[in-house]
Order: sequence, then structure tokens, then C-alpha cells
Amino acid sequence: MSNVDPAGHNQSAPGFGQAYDPFADLRDNHDYTDEALDFEDTYDGLGDQLDETDDAFNDDTFGDTTAGASGAVGKDFDFFGATAKITNAMEEEHQRFSLQQKTSRTVRPHAAQDYNTGYSYQPTQPAPKPARTGYEKYKEEPTELQIDASIWGVAPKKAATPAAVSQPVVTGRKMMSLEEVEAAMRAEAKQTPPVPLTSQFQPQPQYHVQELQAAVEPGLYPRQEQLDPIRQPIDGRHQRGFQTDYQQPGAQGATHGHPITILQRPSRHSPSAPGPATAIPSPMSQPQQTPPNVPTQILQNPNRLPADATRMTAPIHLSQKSQNSIPRALTQKQNQLSELSEREKAAFVEAEARRAKRNHKIHLMSGNNGLMTPQDKSFITRIQLQQLVSATGDPSEQGNEAALAEDFYYQVLSSLRAGQRPNPNQPLNNFAQTYLFQTGTRRGGPRHHGPQNHVQRMEQQVQRAVEAAKNKPKNKQLVIEGSLGKISFSNAKTPKPLLNIKRPESGTDSNRPASGQRTQPASKGHDKKDTLRDIENVYLTLMKMEDLTRSMPPPNGPADQNIADKQDEFNKLNEQLWSHLRVHDPISSTIVHPFISFISYPKGKRAVPRVFRYLSPTQRTTILTMIIIHLDQLDVIRGAQVQTGEPISLDAATRERIELFSLAVMPSLFQLLNECDLDIVTGVLGLITQNVNVDLVARTRIGVSMLTMILSRAELIKQAGQASEQSWQQWVATFNIFFNTLEPTLHNIFPGTITSNEDIYVWQFLAAIGIGASPDEQQRLVFAVKDRVMGTVGLAKTLPPDMAKGRLDNVNLFMRSIGLDVELLN
Amino acid sequence: MPDMAEPRKSSSTYGRDDDPLTYFFKTLIDHEVTVELKNDIQIRGTLKSVDQYLNIKLDDIQVVEELKYPHLSSVKNVFIRGSVVRYVHLPAAAVDVPLLEDATRREAANQAGKGK
Repeated sequence: MSNVDPAGHNQSAPGFGQAYDPFADLRDNHDYTDEALDFEDTYDGLGDQLDETDDAFNDDTFGDTTAGASGAVGKDFDFFGATAKITNAMEEEHQRFSLQQKTSRTVRPHAAQDYNTGYSYQPTQPAPKPARTGYEKYKEEPTELQIDASIWGVAPKKAATPAAVSQPVVTGRKMMSLEEVEAAMRAEAKQTPPVPLTSQFQPQPQYHVQELQAAVEPGLYPRQEQLDPIRQPIDGRHQRGFQTDYQQPGAQGATHGHPITILQRPSRHSPSAPGPATAIPSPMSQPQQTPPNVPTQILQNPNRLPADATRMTAPIHLSQKSQNSIPRALTQKQNQLSELSEREKAAFVEAEARRAKRNHKIHLMSGNNGLMTPQDKSFITRIQLQQLVSATGDPSEQGNEAALAEDFYYQVLSSLRAGQRPNPNQPLNNFAQTYLFQTGTRRGGPRHHGPQNHVQRMEQQVQRAVEAAKNKPKNKQLVIEGSLGKISFSNAKTPKPLLNIKRPESGTDSNRPASGQRTQPASKGHDKKDTLRDIENVYLTLMKMEDLTRSMPPPNGPADQNIADKQDEFNKLNEQLWSHLRVHDPISSTIVHPFISFISYPKGKRAVPRVFRYLSPTQRTTILTMIIIHLDQLDVIRGAQVQTGEPISLDAATRERIELFSLAVMPSLFQLLNECDLDIVTGVLGLITQNVNVDLVARTRIGVSMLTMILSRAELIKQAGQASEQSWQQWVATFNIFFNTLEPTLHNIFPGTITSNEDIYVWQFLAAIGIGASPDEQQRLVFAVKDRVMGTVGLAKTLPPDMAKGRLDNVNLFMRSIGLDVELLN
Repeated sequence: MPDMAEPRKSSSTYGRDDDPLTYFFKTLIDHEVTVELKNDIQIRGTLKSVDQYLNIKLDDIQVVEELKYPHLSSVKNVFIRGSVVRYVHLPAAAVDVPLLEDATRREAANQAGKGK
């Protein structure tokens, strides 16, 4: 490669020449000057020739805009302009078309005009349309409103328009009095088919006819009548009796109220149709299921009112081509009418009057008919439903269990946080009891069951409807015809299952042998898992009971079956709760009792106050006894002993357990004990003395608190004078035994050293002993704790005054109980 | 802030409008929370709103390690897409634990009921 570039570049220079040239062979056949990679080679140097200092000829290049030479520039890029041309043409066309329509409409009698569409059409203004707004589509008749007349098996278009036109009575939106309406109907009855109708009728685009049909006005009345006989006889029941005819007004009202809907969906009654005005009950809400194109059945409808029949004349005559059967029905009916008795005739007339009244009302209200499409209506209905449902999202409202079930935490917490509300009623109280018991912010207040107004009733109905809709099974799968598989829908609630793994329920344990080995084999019958399961069951039962209590009517209300049922259920749940608590399991010396392991778990402890609320006094006492008997086995006592003079060596977990126990379990026991009489208190103390290692118990905080609780209760009973002499003697005897058992431990019950300021509960305990003790026992007591008393007093002298005061107050608790004071020691 | 809530991974409840978890977070609205993102940024701010995807809107925010992310020091409020959240540190005082436990039990019972 010794080629030398004409531009002077040496290709053999390092970095270029050594590179492998894959095109070397090819290039050998060509002139090497073809090489495009060389910049010097391709650069023509034209840039250097550019005169960049002078832009004088820019106009030549780009065209002179000031001289109007822009026409010379091509407009290929002007897409908008091109489109606009076509749009303009279309718009012109459109305007021309609509003008034609307007003229054709204005030809028609004015009776039809005001009611013509119910939309924004103004027949008296043939002015050209204003500039397009983009909303024209919405003003036009929605296509789905067009009636497919073929489903009726008739071709009523030609008939319908003149029918509407032929009612000279109904001019404009003028309000009509009852008399006028009646007069109109009478006139109608006499009326012969209008002659000039056909001449008036002009062939028009189809939707004009349908607009007329859709428009609701009395002029359309016969048209409705014409449809009704088709629909009515479909239901076989209508043929049974005479009275079913009174259904007609109601049904008619429905058709007037929602003419479009019914024309579209002839097989369904509008559910909101007002009931018939007559007192006679009628099966008007019966669905009509058979397809309506069975005109021969009209013959079987014997119930036509004569007025109906006569009023039907106009459409009948006009639609004879398509409906030969109607005159026959008519004659039959007239025959029937003549067969009726006087009384029946009177009933007829009365019914007719009522119906006329009703029709009049409907007519008054029908002025704004057709303003909304069915879609609009259903849209608004949905909004209203939604608001009603969401407005009830407050758990304090009755019948709101569904919302609670949906999201318990949110509902309850927000109701708790809502604070003082105008009328706090039972449910909230209940929640407050359950979840605010620690803070003590229990809320009272009379239960308020105000009269349910109709809005509430409506809300409940709506809620029921919504529930029903929710529960309705939905199509989960789509099977396309001819396809081999199914397409399953997924939604937010039931996502499409991607994995479908079935694990046999029984095989859980055998599948995981490792975990099986890990569980201690020592605990036969009742292991950790069982206990945890029991706790969960207790909670589930508790929640059921709480739900039940919330729905429980006031206890002093009238006793009915419902309350009795609920009481039964409550008792059943109580039994369940009791069995899950396992209190009645046999007491064994080797295994920890199930109930004791139950309350060794934090959540077990937390369950106690809630459990207590749903237990009978006997059951509560049983639990108290259970705890007392196993006092030295409790997790808060076992391994929680303190030794006087040694630093407190409890780990954080134990401290936490103790804290929780004294917060959750102790108050319940305390409350229970405060309701007991002296016999039970004596029995409890006796149990402790006989069955429990007092030394072990008295050196724990919980144990001491428990003992304090028992002793102080006895003292309170005595002071209140509730104790009989005999039971008091019993108590004193038990107390003496207890004191003797306790005495050796007394100097050991203080936690930590003197400086560790955690001994207030001990001073309380000593005070409780001191009050109840005999002078001899008091002396022994003082002797046992003398060192600690002196030590604390001595320490207090070295402490700052406020801290010292706290210490001395603690000591004084005890000193005063035996008639002394720390002041005496100084 | 001892409690932490991890965004759920299970797809079975994802995107439910009436998700209890969503409602749980809604009870924390107007409380101060710290959101830890998957890129380790921790943002503390007042919870303003949360939706079913656990998208989070925070107000008056402050980045925990402000020196490390100076570009966020001038940002006052943020919208956090739920998928980038690693943890939400909850204010312990604003959570009613026993109530939450019960709610969880109810939900579990509901699910079990549906599963059968």
C-alpha cells in the first residue's frame, strides 16, 4: 500500500495503513479516487465560495413576501387548507340539506311542531345553522333511539305521523284542564279518521317519523294504544279476568313516561312506572316475555275499554293495511261492553275518569319529555346511586355491616377518631368499648333511634339493590363460538388466576417434616401451635360476639323472636369462647395448663379484657381461680423474681410481658375481685397460701400486685361493713397463715438496691399487709423491712428535695398503715 | 418510627379499590410518614393522599439525607408512584394496633370464606 492520495494523505501512515482493508481487492479494480471516505476528496470547496457577508439575494432565493410573490410557492404542504376546502363543501351541503328539512317540517301542522323532538330543534327558525360547534352530533337524534318497527311485525310509519297530526286538541304546550282533556277525549271518540292526512303527509327521511313517535304528546296517544294491545295480550294472565284491564292506565303511564324505552325494549316494563290509579290490585309488573310480534293474540284480549277502542279508530284506520286484526278486536270488545252490567259500566266510567285525570297529569309533566336519552338517565341514576351508597359509609348507620366487613379498620378507626358526634349511638359505643378501653375514653349517651325518614329507607333499599347486584354471579368466562379455549376475564376483585396449585389440606404436616421435628415433643396433646390456634379462635369468636352485640336491639325493648334468636346465638358463641379458652381442661401437675399458656402470649393477654366482657360472673371467677392456682407458673412470675440488694436482672422481653400483663389482665381481675364478697377473697388467699410457692410469687411485681389487690379488697369489705363476723374470722385466720408463710420472704421482696427507684409497688403491698395485720404481725413486719426503711430514709437525705420527697412518700405509704410516719425517724 | 409497612407483593389483592391496605393508609392521611424509595432515598412528609396502587402524595417534604440529595432540597411536595416505594415508616401513635389486628383477622376470615 504505497499509494499516495492525491490530496496528499499518506495511507500508509500509522493508524491507517496497517488497518486491514476489506475492500482492498475491490478497490484494485477501480480508480482509487472513488474512495468516499476521504473528506478532502469529497469536499468541493463550494462553501468557501459562499458570499456570507451579503444577504442581498435572499429574496431571490426564498421569494419576496412583500411583493406578493407567495403564490409562486407551492402549497403541497398545506394539509389544513386542503381539508378545509372539503369541510366547507360538506358544511354547505349540510346546511342545504337541513334547510330542506326545515321547510318540509314547517309545512306540517303546528300541533306536531312543539313536541316534535324535544331536542333543540326550532322549526320556526329556518335560519341557516350557526357555525359548527362540534356538538351537532349530540343535538341530532341519537341513532339508537330509532325504532325498529319490524320487531312489531307492523309497518306503522306512515300511520303514525298522521295519527300524531290528527289531534287538533293538543295545540302547543298549553296546560289543559281536566274538562278540556275530557272534552278532547270525547271529541276523539266521535272523530272520524281525518281525511287530509295522507295529503299532508310527505315522504320524509325516516328519522323524522321516528322523532314524532318518540315525542311524547297526547297526539301520540292513539299510537301508544295501538302498540299496547300488541303487548298486552302476550301475558296470558291478562285474559283471565275483567279487572286486569285496569292495568292499562298504569302501563300507559309507563309508556308515556318512557316512551322511547318501551318502544325499544318492548319485552320489559319500566320498573319505575307508577302504579295504577285504581284501587284494584293489578299484576302490572309482570314481565312480558314472549316476543311481541303475535298480532293475532289481540283477538284474545277481551278487556279493551270502549274508550280505548274508539280512540283507537284513528290509528286503526290508518294502519289497516298492516293490522287487520285490530278492528276485529275492536268489535269483539264492543260486543263485550254491551254484555256488561250497569254496575260494571259505572265502574268503567269511574275508572275512565280516573285515568283521564292521570293522563292529564302525565301530559302536564310530559312537557320536558325526551330531553334526556335513556343513556343520560341511566348515567344520572348511577351517579345518584353511587352517592347514596357512599353517603352511607359510616359504621354508625344501621345496616352498614357490609361496609364494616369490607374494611373494618378504616371504618372503625375513622368513627373512633370522629370524636364527639351529634348522636353517638350504640355501634360506636361498642367499638369504643372494645378499642378505647385502654384510654378510658368511653362514651356514653342515650341510644338514639329516631324515626326513620324516607331518605334512610331509600338508602337501605338502594343498598339492598347494590348488594344484590354485587352478589349476582357474573360471567367469568367468555366462550367464543368455534374457539377451542375459554377466555377468562379478570377484574380487580378476582384477578385472573395465573397459577392454580392445589395443596392437599391434610398433607401439610407430612410435606414439612422439618417443622414437625422442631416442635417440642414434650408437650403432649397441647403444643404451641394449638395454643396459638386457640387464641385466634377466641379472637374470631370475640369478633362474632361483638358484631352480634352491635346488632342487638336495646335490652329493655319488646321481646320478640328475633331477640330470642340472637340471645341463643350469643349463648352458643359464649360456649364456643369458653371452650376455646380451655379453662376447663384438666389440671395436671406436669404440663402447663392450656389456659396458662394461653395468657402467656401477648395476644392472649390482650384478649383477656375483651373476653371478660362476654363472660358470665361465674366464668370470670373460674378464670380468676385458674390464674391464682397457677400463679407461680405464669410467665410473668416464673423467672421474673427479684432479689433485694442485687440489680434487677430482667430482660426486656420479660419487662414487656409484665407491663402488658399489668395493663391488660390485672385491671380485669381487679374489677372482678372488687365485685366479689369476702368469702371468695378469703378463698383466693387460701389458694395462694396452700397451692402456690408464696416466696416465688412475692418476689415478683405481678405477684405482689396480685396480693396487694386481694388484701386491700378484704380491707375495703371490712371497712364497708359488708363482712359478717364469721367470714371475717375466716379471713383473719387465712391471713395469719399467709403472713406466716410470707414472713421469711419479706426482706427479699424489694427489687434491686435502694437506689433503684422501682419499689413503690412493694411499699403499697406492705401498706396493705400493715393495715390488716395484728399489732404483733405489724411488729414483725417492721422488723423485717426495717433495713430498707432506714436505708431509703438515709438515701433521701442525699437526694435533691423533690426526689427525696417521692422516696419518703413511698415509705410513708407503709409507715402510715401501721400508724407511724417517716418524720418520726428523723 | 418503629413500624414499617411493606408494599404488598401479592398480586391477588393488587389494584383493588376497596383494599383494606389502601384504607389503612387512608387513616394515616395528614400524619407524617417517611417513605423509603427503592433507590434508597427517604422522604419524610405529610401524607396527603393514597390510592389503590399505593401511589402516595406527600406535602412539606424533607429528604432524610439532605446532603446526599441536594437536588431535592427545594422540592416541597411529591407524588410517588406506588411501585417505587420500598417501605413506608408509619407513625406508631397513629396506628391502632389491636384494631388493626382485628381488621386483619376479619380480612383473613373473609378470604378464607371466599376460598371455600
